[in-house]
Amino acid sequence: MINVKNLYKSFNGKSVLNDISVTFETGITNLIIGRSGSGKTVLLKSLVGLLDIESGEIWYENTLFNKLDFKDRKAIRSEMGMLFQGSALFDSLTVEQNVRFPLDMFTDKSAEEKIERVNFCLNRVDIVNANKLFPAELSGGMKKRVAIARAISLNPKYLFCDEPNSGLDPITAILIDALIKELTEEYSMTTIVNTHDMNSVMEIGEKIIFISEGIKYWEGTRNDVLNSDCEILNDFVFANSLAKKLKFTDK
Amino acid sequence: MHSGFKNHNYVNTVIISNFDVYKFIGMIKFFTQFGLYFLLLKKVFSKPEKPVIYYKQTMSEFVYLGLNSVGIITIISFFMGAVITLQTAYNTENPIYPAYLIGLGCRDSIILEFSSTVAALILAGKVGSSIASEIGTMRVTEQIDALEMMGINSASFLILPKLIATLLFNPVLTLISICVGIFGGGIAGTFAGVITMEDYIYGIQYAFIPFYIVYSLIKTVFFAFIITSISAFQGYYVDGGSLEVGRASTKAVVYSSVLILLFNVILTQLLLS
Repeated sequence: MINVKNLYKSFNGKSVLNDISVTFETGITNLIIGRSGSGKTVLLKSLVGLLDIESGEIWYENTLFNKLDFKDRKAIRSEMGMLFQGSALFDSLTVEQNVRFPLDMFTDKSAEEKIERVNFCLNRVDIVNANKLFPAELSGGMKKRVAIARAISLNPKYLFCDEPNSGLDPITAILIDALIKELTEEYSMTTIVNTHDMNSVMEIGEKIIFISEGIKYWEGTRNDVLNSDCEILNDFVFANSLAKKLKFTDK
Repeated sequence: MHSGFKNHNYVNTVIISNFDVYKFIGMIKFFTQFGLYFLLLKKVFSKPEKPVIYYKQTMSEFVYLGLNSVGIITIISFFMGAVITLQTAYNTENPIYPAYLIGLGCRDSIILEFSSTVAALILAGKVGSSIASEIGTMRVTEQIDALEMMGINSASFLILPKLIATLLFNPVLTLISICVGIFGGGIAGTFAGVITMEDYIYGIQYAFIPFYIVYSLIKTVFFAFIITSISAFQGYYVDGGSLEVGRASTKAVVYSSVLILLFNVILTQLLLS
């Protein structure tokens, strides 16, 4: 479980996150939704410590993460996996080396054990016969899946995904969503996904928070999101014409 | 008239104060960059997480930054030596001067200046831009964030192997450059008929001061540090996209070159005075 209390973050005096308080539950996919530029990525990067916050508290179970120094954060970071928006695979390494990288850095496993784990992770995300390929030779969906394989290679307790569906076709996007949900349940991880894709919201949004201009406006589940009274959330959820039509058809 | 004079003063005051503000902002920016550079170096020289991985990284940087530069250094040094010999020969066409002085002049020019400073300026272009664009691209594609996220000291992991590789290999490049440059001078001089090989060899052996080699290697080590650290700094703090990576790469070459020339003067004064 990750508990965030009264989190503030600003850039050059401009507030980006304003008094965010939320609890991200274990074993479910927690979604942060909002428009582009609403502060979702800043929130996610603040949670993992890539950005320092001005005030507030970020608790990982019983540890106050944001007060730890770089060395002490390492222990918690070894329990985190992250899927970046652009996958962030290392260009100079092959698929196999990318997935193996965390194992090389943080474990004392033998070479055979590492290869076994790499193959297991790659199989788990349905990547076959691609061990020796470089990231430049992969499609967008494959890159995302390799990045997920790298993120889960150390059996993380916490999985962070920054817009996992961006740039993917609808079918691949659904597969990635399903994969994230399955892995979350399988390994009982605390998963936090940033998205503005309503498909993802309806498919995997077990807990959803909506932020706009750095302020948390709404919190609920995918069952509540379509029937909310929050006007700003409705503007977001029913932004496209298909969703609007569905809403009026329902009524 | 009186009020016009007053207004003129007011305009001057405004211009001066604006100028001061810009100067002040410029100074703040300069000191911020200066501080960031030293903070980055502090991160770079912290204890490596897994020395074995760093060792492998350093070996691949030896190949990428060092061995891959042998070709260009060889070609440039050969022609540099050839031109120095020919220019020395044509500018000392006087029966009073013995022919072997051409070899001596070529040797000292190559050892003292060309193989260290000119080679460093070429490496600033080749290696410096490569380091800045590699690290800059890693920054904008979130690969550095991915490293930090895993709890890896990204500055040390990415920059330290490059520093070690260039600090150890650039002196080798300088020695190659000296040998090839002197060889090129001999070949060009003989083929052009400005000097015989015997005179040339006598010239390059005449009044040889071994410390000149040490001086050249000391300069090379300093220049290698400048090229790698400045270029890595420019790449590491890129903010934006591909355009900024390109700008960082240009800045890396320009700043490294200027600093190489500045340190060339300082080191020459310190080592040869």
